[in-house]
Order: sequence, then C-alpha cells, then structure tokens
Amino acid sequence: MFKLIGGIVIGVALGLAGAWFAAMNMAGGLMFQERVSPFTMEETVARIQQNIQAAGNGWALFGLRYPARPVEAEGGNVLPVMLIEACSVKYSGPILKEDSVRFLSLLMPCKIAVYKKSDGKVYIGIMNAGLIGRFFGSLVGNTMADVVKDQESFLVMDPTKPAPPMIIPKVGDGGGGGAGGSAGGC
Amino acid sequence: MKLLSFILALGASLSLSAWASESFTPTLTDKLPPPKSTADHSKFKELQAVFKTGPEVTKACLACHNDAAKQVQHTKHWTWEVVDAKTGQKLGKKNIINNFCTSTVSNEKDCMACHAGYGWADKSFDFTKEESVDCLICHDSTGTYRKLPGDAGHPIYERKEFPAGSGKFVDPVDLQKVAQKVAMPSRANCGSCHFFGAGGDGTKHGDLDSALRNPSKHLDVHMDAKGLNFSCVNCHKTSQHQVAGSRYEFDASRTGKPQPQGKFDGNPASCQACHGDKPHKESLLHAERLNTHTDTLACQTCHIPEYARSNVGTEKVWDWSTATKMGPDGKPIFVKDSAGRRAFDSKKGNFAWDSYLMPEYRWFNGKLSYKVIGDKIDPSKAVEINHPEGSPNEPGARIWPFKVHRGKQAYDPELKNLLIVHTAGEDHTALWHNFDWPKAIETGMQTVGLPWSGKHDFVATEMSWPITHTVAPKGDALSCTQCHGANSRLKDIPGIYLPGLHKNEWLDLAGWGAALLALIGVLIHGIIRACVPCRKPRSKQ
Repeated sequence: MFKLIGGIVIGVALGLAGAWFAAMNMAGGLMFQERVSPFTMEETVARIQQNIQAAGNGWALFGLRYPARPVEAEGGNVLPVMLIEACSVKYSGPILKEDSVRFLSLLMPCKIAVYKKSDGKVYIGIMNAGLIGRFFGSLVGNTMADVVKDQESFLVMDPTKPAPPMIIPKVGDGGGGGAGGSAGGC
Repeated sequence: MKLLSFILALGASLSLSAWASESFTPTLTDKLPPPKSTADHSKFKELQAVFKTGPEVTKACLACHNDAAKQVQHTKHWTWEVVDAKTGQKLGKKNIINNFCTSTVSNEKDCMACHAGYGWADKSFDFTKEESVDCLICHDSTGTYRKLPGDAGHPIYERKEFPAGSGKFVDPVDLQKVAQKVAMPSRANCGSCHFFGAGGDGTKHGDLDSALRNPSKHLDVHMDAKGLNFSCVNCHKTSQHQVAGSRYEFDASRTGKPQPQGKFDGNPASCQACHGDKPHKESLLHAERLNTHTDTLACQTCHIPEYARSNVGTEKVWDWSTATKMGPDGKPIFVKDSAGRRAFDSKKGNFAWDSYLMPEYRWFNGKLSYKVIGDKIDPSKAVEINHPEGSPNEPGARIWPFKVHRGKQAYDPELKNLLIVHTAGEDHTALWHNFDWPKAIETGMQTVGLPWSGKHDFVATEMSWPITHTVAPKGDALSCTQCHGANSRLKDIPGIYLPGLHKNEWLDLAGWGAALLALIGVLIHGIIRACVPCRKPRSKQ
C-alpha cells in the first residue's frame, strides 16, 4: 500500500515537473509568433500599415516606434526594429469598460514588430492574441478571436502590388489618434 | 620555488608590457579637433575681390599657394586616371566602366560636378591649365559651395531650377564668402562627392553616406562627432595634395607594430597603421586567440558587422534594362520605394535599396582587377566589373567584407563588350533626353572611339566594394558564433577550417576519444576510492 501511494506521488510529481518543463519551453513559442518577410524593413512596415488602414473594424494606425534608436544614441549597435502600433475602438472599448479586465490595457495598442536578424532576413513578430484571450473569460476571448482574424489580414502582402510609402507619424502624434482618426479609444 | 615564481612573474610582466606597447593609445592631442588656421583669409586683399567664376578664385589662391595647382594636377582627384604599376592598365573613372551610371565618357558635363576642377565638358579639356583647379570643393568651410550636374564642374553662378522642372531653385554661390572661409577639408567636404557617388546619397559605397557628416559613436567609433571626431584626412593622410588610401592602392594586410600619426612608412589609411596587427588587449588568453585571427581576417570583417547602418541605406541593384519605360500617359515616371528612395526612373531603370546589410566576404589581397572600356565579356554569366584578387594560401590576402552591387547594363551581343551610353546632356542623342537607346549608344561608342555592331542587349553585372568605413564600437564586433556556428557568415569562404562549422571525422574521433578516456579514468578513480575504504586517518598536528 505504501509502495502504491509512494508510486502515485512520485508519478504525479514527475508528471507535474514534466508539464512545467514543457510549459516553460513552449510558452514563449505559443505566446508569440514570427515569420519571415520577403520585403525590406520599410516595405514590410508600409504594407502592414496600408493593410491596417484598409482593414475596417475601427482599426487605425497609432504610432511607429524605433526601439533600437535609444541603444544607438548610447553608442551601441543593434539591428533595426520597428514597432507598428494599431488600435481599434471596436475591440478596445468593451475591454476598457469592464473593470475586471481593464488591466489588459497593458497590451494596448496592438503591436506588430518588424525586425532584422543577423541572418540578414526581415522578420515579422506578432503576439498570439487568440491564446492570450482564452485566459481571461469570454469577453476577452471572443474579442481577441476577432482581433486575430484582422491581424492575419494585416500580414497578407501581395508582391504584385506596388510598394506603398511608409507612414511616419509626426513627432508628438504618438499619443493621439491614428491616420484613420478613430483610435481615440486606445 | 620562490625563485621559479619570480622568474615566471617577471617573464609574464615583460611579455605583457612588450605586448601592450604594440598598441597605439590615442593621446589627448589626437582627440582634439584639427588646429585652426594661423591665417585669417578674409583679411587677404587677393580674396576681397568680387569673383564671378571659380577660376578667378583659383587665380587668387595661387597668388600665395603657388605650387598648389601643380600638386593637385598630379592627383587622382584631377586626372581621374590611375595606371596600374604592374600591368600598365589604365584605370580610374576616366577608363573603367561601373554598374551604376556606367561611364563618365560622353557624360562629362554631369559627372564633373565631382571633379576637382572647372570646365571638363569633353575630351578637349586642358589638364594643364592651373586656374581650372577647383580649390573650394575641398576647402570650403561654409557648406554653401555647390556644383550641379550639367555645369562641367563649375559652381552655381546664377539662380537656377534644379532638378529641371522640379520647381525647386538653388541660389548662386557667394564665391567671395567661400574663398575667405577656406579651411582644412572636413568630412562634409570629402562627403560632398564621396557620400553621393553614382548620383545619390549612399548610392555607391555602402559605408559612406551623409550620416557620416555628424555621426554618433554607434555608426563610426572614429568619426563619432562627440568623441574622437576624426575627419577623413585623419586616416587619409595628405601630403602635397596626394591623398593616401584608395581602392586602387589598397593595403589589405598590413602587418607590424602601430605607428604614431605622422610617422607612417606605408599606407596610413589602414587599421593596423594605428592599432598594429596584434591589437586586442583583453585577458591574455582571449586576446591571443583574437590576435591569431588577424592572419586570416581583415579587421573590418569583425568590426563592421553590417554596413549602411543608417536610414540612408545603400543601393543594392541598378537594372538599366527597364530604362526608357514610360508611364501610362507615355511620359517619364519616377517611383519611390517605401522608404522614399528611388525605385524606378524612366531615365535610369529599376533600383533596389536596403540598409543594415550583412557584407559578402571574399579573399582579398588588395588588388581589384577591373573591366575597362572595350574589354571582352562573357555574357553567359554575371560579369564581374571588378574582381577582388586573393586566395586562401596567399600571405597578403585576408578575408574582407564587401558590398556587391548587382545590375543589368547594356552590352554588345555581337562584339561582346560593355557599351558606353551617352546618358546625360540636353542634345538629341542623350538617353535621358530622348529615351532612345541606339542613339545614346552610338554617340557613346563614337566618343570613346570603339566600334558597335548596332545591336544591344542587357547583361547581369556585379561590382565589389570593400567595406572599410563605419567601424562599430568594439563591443559590437561579430561574436564568435557568427562565424563559428552552423549559420556562419563565412560558410562559403574556401580554404579555412572553422571549428563549429566544419567537421573533421578524425579530429572529432580524437576529441570524443579523449573525452571518453577521461570519463573512464574518472570512473575508475571513483571505483577505486569507493572500494578502498581503509584509508589511513590523517595524523593530528
């Protein structure tokens, strides 16, 4: 009997440890995704920006940030990174109205990272909003499911179409509405 | 024992001090900006005249600097010609073809905006005329001296629209003001041509663009405007107007100790001239490991991990085959890419640009062999406009980083040579004026005095540019795994064994065998220790 209980305890402990190990190793890959872009940094950003503006559902550009610049200003070299920020009041509004999930404003506005790696290729990094949404109940889960669909449409890039110009927000625009004029909810 | 320790310590300190003395540490004097002139040129009566033309200014300069023009006339900046001492081949902008604008011949009026002279409009230019030397292009300190394409090297004398039809106007240069404010050349002086080679900022070199006018440390540790603040002539030491350091006289593998500035016995425009060929000074073993790399790698290979490291970027591709294509309304069009750089121009074809680019690596002994005007080509493969010479076993060769500019340009499919195209000008045969390839080629080939079959097509070409500017801070040099790893940057380089990338079965077997033997030894030792419990207790002292 003692052996049986001991075996179960050890088995459960090993199972938990294995699950923990797997979760720790896989969580990063599940929470975030990256894919290679066939275009240059600027063209990738411009095409995503154009898609966001054309997406409807209240989506608007919110800003464009350059996280590598402060590093360069301090004298260091890092490969370029651009963060496209976009927001939709249609999706952000209900979440911001609900006290229990208002802390998710931390994830607003939505971000898409475009960056180079040392292999010379341009990558697009996105957050797995669908997976994250599932942790926070039906309101957030359903909203994030819609966000994921739109997010996929942002990343559809047709090489037969000419490269649009990159939209560079004017200094000071970062906190205001985007080009669509409807991002005030963020 | 103490004696042995003393001898070892003495030996170590001596070797350390000898090793440390090989590195040149910049002194305070080296960090200071160049000294101001001892003469206030605005007070010279020769320079208080009203100058109507550039040559008039030069005459005034020569009144005091009476040998200056003769000196300049012996430089590449004047002749645009270099003769290869070994082969006798004539090189320089006057003789080679590139895969950007392709050739200066028949296009002098435009190209000579970057000539250190006035009036080179065609082959009748008098290279002996001293007042034709342009002093101001290198010595203007006002930043207002400007020469435009189309004026054969003369500065702007009258207000004019530029580019034509753009609605933008440029004012004439105040020659008196510029002449009274001459100074030693700054980065902006050299950059007024070398940053804008091939007709646009950052187009040609990949490691030279307008970001170097006022760079921060991350972009160039030497030119850092708030740090060492080097100007070009700090390394490109100049004597009698001869500027040291050129891709035609490249020092790819300088060896020996560093030499203080002003005492160079060779090309001062090399890293080793100041740093020596054993420059690393960190922990002894690590430094020694890094220093052994200098027999194989150029300094630039590790210390310029990417080139075009600014928003300016650089041109990667110029495809002339699409030039003369018009917009839907039959008029010339100009299209920019997402970053606002040129992507298509009916005059010039398609372009591709990028920034933060990983170099391509080649063995290089300092010699670039060129295709010059009239040379035969093999159009079945990409034509190397220039080829970096060098091989793995050559003592003077190192692995160097390059920007490789690719393009398509006109060639004669019957005579198998690259064609000279008369692109610039307002006459009826200029390509950029009438968009007619045959007329433009006919004029270009007539000007250079070579036959043309009457046919033209386009061939893929490559041109290699050694990367040597924009040295990053030492902390940003390539890490070990960027070469010694599965995705090594040097994986296509022949003739080297790279641990971490390459495998040798016998070496691996020996390594694993040694590890196995060590493990067996440890196990045996452990078993013996476990099976022999009756060790003598240590006697209490």
